[in-house]
Amino acid sequence: MQFRARVPKQRAIRRILALRPGSTPAQAVKIARHRIDSDLFRLWDDLLLPLPSYAQRLQCTGIEEIQYLDQALAAGNGVILLTLHFGANRPALKHLATLGYPTLSLQDQTSRNPRQGRLGRVLRKRYIEFLRRSYPDVVYVQDPECSLKILRRLRSGGLVHMNLDVLNVKTAVEGAFLGVSWRFPVGVFDLVRLSGCAVVPMLCLTRSAGFQIRFDPMLDVVRAASRDEFVHANLPAFTGVFERQIAAHPEQWRPWTWR
Amino acid sequence: MDLAMSNSGAAGSGAASRETVDRIKRVFVSSLHLNLTEADLAYEQQLDELVGLDSLAVIEFVTAIEKEFGIRIEPELLRLDFVRSLPRLSAYVEDRVAQVRRFSA
Repeated sequence: MQFRARVPKQRAIRRILALRPGSTPAQAVKIARHRIDSDLFRLWDDLLLPLPSYAQRLQCTGIEEIQYLDQALAAGNGVILLTLHFGANRPALKHLATLGYPTLSLQDQTSRNPRQGRLGRVLRKRYIEFLRRSYPDVVYVQDPECSLKILRRLRSGGLVHMNLDVLNVKTAVEGAFLGVSWRFPVGVFDLVRLSGCAVVPMLCLTRSAGFQIRFDPMLDVVRAASRDEFVHANLPAFTGVFERQIAAHPEQWRPWTWR
Repeated sequence: MDLAMSNSGAAGSGAASRETVDRIKRVFVSSLHLNLTEADLAYEQQLDELVGLDSLAVIEFVTAIEKEFGIRIEPELLRLDFVRSLPRLSAYVEDRVAQVRRFSA
């Protein structure tokens, strides 16, 4: 494990130093170490989630600012819960469902690692199936009906969960993020533009005693007719809120170590 | 129960007029920026190809129909099998337009 963790850790240190100009090497090492630890917590959480007793083992230690979610739902046009890849997204969604906030989660069935072999693909498939059993309210980007299923949920006034920092993006828009150019999935922006739904940023953190959820205020979406205008008008607001999340909790943001 | 079938049966039991079908075809071509004439259009085939490339194309099309006809398609009908059936979609749209007119009269 020590040897295996070294490569992603070195990668994370390099990225943290590049994308967080204020960080010293010592801080980068600390953040990277915590980042690797939080991956282990996340795997452990994944194993616990299908158990009937998961709620006792995996406790939600707090939900902050849930009124922002209630306000967005009250508008009646559906809500996209937008997150980055932080440690506790899956347990948070499951917990929200038990509280009466069932959320359709958009997932990718394929691996983000292009060099994974046949065994990796088989294991990935089984892992996805395992995760689906613990949280069945999912739709996969590979599903041809994916966007219609999302629109259906939003039109019914429901909740949809999407990540903004995905790697496998078929149609992307480029924008500044953490001081460099990033590719964001255009689908998020299209769905918001076409459905008229609300967008509420969510942050789900792993804590030693469980996990914690925090909602940010609903994003002030600027309406525009075309895709380009809409993205141009809204991308800075979308990315700004998530840059602040990463700045506050860099050790829990998973893409530091992604290839 | 197939909601799409049941609702479209209720809403679109008759055949749609040629005018509505043509308008939907025009919306299909214009909303998805297709380089096609109506004569070239094999609707189902084109829709399948587009959805295969990008599933968002279908909601771009659905929302364009809603805007064109001033209607809102019911959530339970937002299904690929319903949208890709031009006769059912056209009949449904015609019935919805008639409903909207009755409500506003």
